[in-house]
Amino acid sequence: MLKKLFCAAISFALSAPVLAEKEFENHTNMMDHGDGHLMDMTGGMIMGQNTDTLPGGCDRVAATKEITVHAGHKYAKKFPGRMYAFDVQEYQFEPCTKLTINFINDDSVRHQWMMHGLPKYLYPKGMFHMEVTGPGKISGTLIFPPGDKTYLVHCDIAQHMEKGMKGQLKIGKGSGDLPSIPGVTPYVIQDDYWDKTSVNDERDDEYVADPVEPTVKAVKAPIVENESLFSGLTIVGLAIGLLLAPLLARKFKDMTAAEIVSYLVELAKTGVCMAIKLVKWLMSLVPKK
Amino acid sequence: MQKNPLGKLLSTALMLTSVSATAIAGLPKTVEVDRGKVEAFCNENNPEWREAQTIEGVDIQESLRCSPDNPYSIAAEVKGTNNLSMEALMNTHYAMDGIIKKNDMDGDGDPDLIIIKLEVAELNGHSPDFKGVVPTFDIAPGIQPAMWVFAPKSRGMATNSFVGVDANPLLRAPSPVIRVEQGDTIWIQLENTHYFPHTIHLHGVDHPFVDVAGEGNDGVPQSSDKFVLPGQSKTYEIRPRTAGSFAYHCHVQTHVHLAMGLVGMFVVEENRPNNWVQTFNVGAGQVRHPSKAILEEYDSEYDLHYHAMDKELNSIVQRYNDPRLIAKKMNREYDMTESTEDYHTLNGRSFPYTLRESIIVTEPDKNLKLRVFNSTGEQLAMHTHGHKATITHYDGIEHNPAAQITRDIYDIAPAQRNDLKINTTDDGFHSYGEGIWIFHDHREKGITTNGMNPGGNVSALVYKKYLNEIGMPKAIGESSENLFTKAFQRRQVPVWQNIDEWNSLGEVDISGYVAPEASKAMEAETNSDSKVLAGNDEDDSLRNLFFGLFFGLFAYVAFVKREQWIALISSLKGGK
Repeated sequence: MLKKLFCAAISFALSAPVLAEKEFENHTNMMDHGDGHLMDMTGGMIMGQNTDTLPGGCDRVAATKEITVHAGHKYAKKFPGRMYAFDVQEYQFEPCTKLTINFINDDSVRHQWMMHGLPKYLYPKGMFHMEVTGPGKISGTLIFPPGDKTYLVHCDIAQHMEKGMKGQLKIGKGSGDLPSIPGVTPYVIQDDYWDKTSVNDERDDEYVADPVEPTVKAVKAPIVENESLFSGLTIVGLAIGLLLAPLLARKFKDMTAAEIVSYLVELAKTGVCMAIKLVKWLMSLVPKK
Repeated sequence: MQKNPLGKLLSTALMLTSVSATAIAGLPKTVEVDRGKVEAFCNENNPEWREAQTIEGVDIQESLRCSPDNPYSIAAEVKGTNNLSMEALMNTHYAMDGIIKKNDMDGDGDPDLIIIKLEVAELNGHSPDFKGVVPTFDIAPGIQPAMWVFAPKSRGMATNSFVGVDANPLLRAPSPVIRVEQGDTIWIQLENTHYFPHTIHLHGVDHPFVDVAGEGNDGVPQSSDKFVLPGQSKTYEIRPRTAGSFAYHCHVQTHVHLAMGLVGMFVVEENRPNNWVQTFNVGAGQVRHPSKAILEEYDSEYDLHYHAMDKELNSIVQRYNDPRLIAKKMNREYDMTESTEDYHTLNGRSFPYTLRESIIVTEPDKNLKLRVFNSTGEQLAMHTHGHKATITHYDGIEHNPAAQITRDIYDIAPAQRNDLKINTTDDGFHSYGEGIWIFHDHREKGITTNGMNPGGNVSALVYKKYLNEIGMPKAIGESSENLFTKAFQRRQVPVWQNIDEWNSLGEVDISGYVAPEASKAMEAETNSDSKVLAGNDEDDSLRNLFFGLFFGLFAYVAFVKREQWIALISSLKGGK
């Protein structure tokens, strides 16, 4: 009994701190795993940390800068239709700048500040990456390569970039703007706010991965197409009509309507007679049994 | 003989002039549809992971299927991420604080405080930057419905690597099976990384209505809980006294959030000394580190999670990016009472991918424990070929042993769990002997993918004798190559293409084909209906010809007289 009570007491004592609001954590004591990879037991992580190796083409560190970046749901407030954001969307630095980023996560989930496209000989997989579960802070340092280039900065947790946590970092003049940066550039694929189609209806615009175009298309139309007004025969008729029209126009030039009608009847009669003769002739060709 | 020889002749003549005319009496040709690339049946996912092994003291059972679970992840799930070496943890995608296990309070050799962290991930989601989905999770070749899942807390990128967009292995359907020991103190920390509010409701699991701080613990916004908003976290505290197969799911807009995939199995294992249970079974399927109590009675254990999805619901998040628009479509416009389920999955995949990771591998004279969970919207009728299983537990609670029944169809209501015992003794009753015995839902729509068969939740119980060296069944039936193509899954390939020498049930090629004039039936057999029909066909041809002729003439006249027309129109305008 005493043991059970003791267990319960310990259990309560231990549960209290976790169930209370998580306190702000500054991740300053991380373990170095080599190759610029630092981690601690509470989810703080840096990859691609570089405090002292100059990238090729830099003969010295051009400038030493330090910035503070916030991440969280509340920074999306000024961008309606977004859910997560950084507090700043655009950065610009001189080539060969040594930059320290103090990354503060104001939410209570993980967020990341991830850069892609750096030289791979210096940054494993061409990436500089900071990750921290909030509320908390983590600080990392890197040295930029030379050259004008725009780098993507984002959080790679599923849908965080898509829903707003995206920015761009320009080195020198940069190399243009990236799409879908909140407040800077529009989406490539925009939402249709006027879409009136019922969501319950089947649609054919659903996304399919790497569409395979079959060499033979699926059959959709019925084999005999006689329903449409514009069938193949209509086109044939149209062609004949257009060809005949000038000839007929010359023919009928000085005739009255009655004359034209009687002429047409005469023509039809001749046609029918010729057809009948043709049939007779064809039938005579068939050997009789 | 013919009543309208002139019309007949005229139309025949016209047919002959048509450039696309083909043989008079033939039917369209047969063609072979290019099915594109055939995927390898087995994706060769780290074959060395299939062996039985021990990692840092954790015994991991053999798993002979083609795509086995990562044994390092299992070691982390058993020991906790806090007790595993950094080296081993680096072979997984787990966050350092993903699973914390500590405090052996009763001194029986296993930890009694378990802290489990869950995030919320969207699979096959929308991107405003390119026409594609991210991160991808195919339930069958090229089939990528959007899904939401609870996921163990991972570290790093959502994708598996830097080159592709496929999801990292912890981000997958179904939501992971959570396994705890009876009597342990469990803190389930929901870190809501999604863009909508969510909660966790512990269905059937012993939990107090409020936690020690007096906050809601049942996950129901209408009765006890605040929403866990995007970016926020919330801890649920339990100490389950009853063992059994239970479930957990989001209780916000439950009808759609559960259908989107925010639902998983929650298993409470019986208390035993030194009982380190596998906290997560990611992707469900075989439990490679079964609990002490299970090993007393069984040789192996499997979690089978059946789910179904309505593509109209699941595609909403692929169509829009603005969360307000998604919420409107999903909460106010989507009508679940008019929905139909299109995708039927077992452990997150549909046939044939189920063969890679959801087969049950066994030998004669074994006892298998199957925990079967139905999170679809309808009754499930699971059927095992070659075996009659005994239902030992309903909803986690043991059925009176004297009244337990043995059958070959197990009807499972939505949200229900059945525990089955399969005995592989070849006695003509429990088992009919060794083989590849499929098991599946016997509502026939359950064996389709978007209405097409073979697909759906079919998997198989395979005896080792019938398993090849890469973990796929040594099937002796028809080739499954077509099923492993995207073209087949998209209905482009005839199901029976090339089943015989001359492809007698292949695709019809209608390019350039014009149907010949229908033959007249013999007079005696002719009925009036068919005559009328035949007459109509001719009339249509002639009507179209004359319509064209008229149109051509009219166009000419209109052109020639264009000046008069223009004058007329401008005079009308001027009149106004």
